[in-house]
Amino acid sequence: MMSLPMLHNALLVGAMLFSLGLVGILTRRNLIVMFLCAELMLQGVSVSLVAWSRYHGDWGGQVLVIFVLTVAACEAAVALVFVLQAFARTGRLDAAAWQTLREANLPRVMDSKLPADDTFPPSWPTLSPAGVLPPGDPQESLQREHV
Amino acid sequence: MFGSDPTSAGTLLAAGVTSAAVSLWLLLPRGTQSPASMRLGTVLGLLALAAFVATGQRLGSIGEEAVFLIVSLVAVVAGAATIVTRSPVYSAIWFALALAGVAGVLLVLGAQFLGVATIVVYAGAILVMFLFVLMLAQPSGLAPYDRVSSEPLLSAVAGAVLLGLLTLSIGRLTAEPAACCNTPSRAAAMADAAPVVPAAVDVTKADRMESDQVARLGAELFGRHLLAVEVAGVLLLAALVGAIAVVSRGEAAAASEGRFSR
Repeated sequence: MMSLPMLHNALLVGAMLFSLGLVGILTRRNLIVMFLCAELMLQGVSVSLVAWSRYHGDWGGQVLVIFVLTVAACEAAVALVFVLQAFARTGRLDAAAWQTLREANLPRVMDSKLPADDTFPPSWPTLSPAGVLPPGDPQESLQREHV
Repeated sequence: MFGSDPTSAGTLLAAGVTSAAVSLWLLLPRGTQSPASMRLGTVLGLLALAAFVATGQRLGSIGEEAVFLIVSLVAVVAGAATIVTRSPVYSAIWFALALAGVAGVLLVLGAQFLGVATIVVYAGAILVMFLFVLMLAQPSGLAPYDRVSSEPLLSAVAGAVLLGLLTLSIGRLTAEPAACCNTPSRAAAMADAAPVVPAAVDVTKADRMESDQVARLGAELFGRHLLAVEVAGVLLLAALVGAIAVVSRGEAAAASEGRFSR
């Protein structure tokens, strides 16, 4: 049987994973990232279930986690097929691409603040120069003029 | 869960919740972000993590609980990176790291089979399926809908408030069952269930390393929960058939649409 502080710590980790997944599924717009966040919530619940199972000395929690795995596999298979169908129809993985399905009295989601290009470009690794500079090809400048 | 002084513990929890909300709001994709705000969000997130670590129980024995601290930090940090990363492919890979952390947590908790099954089933099968779909459907470069998110401030506040409430309710847990409810206590229920599954009781901390844990879990799974296993098998078959049916119907619809447009 597990100690009570260990149960508290494990439940805290489960709660943090669940909350992070909740924030992600509420706010991200990529359909696949939304499903990843749902899986993150399932992981938080699994941690809590295993902690309770160990605390009570009962195997029911772990058995329930096995069924959570099964349902997650089924859900991923069916949902990814739907995501692919949605992508084939709209050409986007955007959840807001389906906002024509909303209620008639709800406002339309507008992307007014989006800048034209990516203002936060990824930083790629760079190599510092090493060794001697190879001699340049004298024909290269001539070749480039023909391109 | 909390120390001797409840006021300072409450202040600590409030500070942790607030910095978690602000850090998530700073880190989530909003379209216009400077690297300075990302750095500030990261620092605030680490502060929130430290606050929640301090909110948790004081780590007693240094051995396995230090391991637990490390793997749970890996899981939570990778989970946060999963939801704030712009690129969906990087998001999936951060999720794989979060799965590794969760598997470590399960191993420390003494669920060996589930730890290994998490790696094999989730990271090996489900996540690879996600990556396949991403490579089928992802346009080159960052899509506009990956660079903005809908209502990041409200979502971050909602998630942080939920986390604070959950932490409070976890802190209320004591060893004694709650006296408010007139349902039979869990211990009594376990004592009733004990004759059915004798292997389920008397799980001490020392037997965590025993090798017949998986056998006991299998006996429980195929003994008390045999009907649920059968239902899960039917569910898997239905998901398989359903996925194939949706794909073939979609292809037929696309082909007929192409015929009409031509």
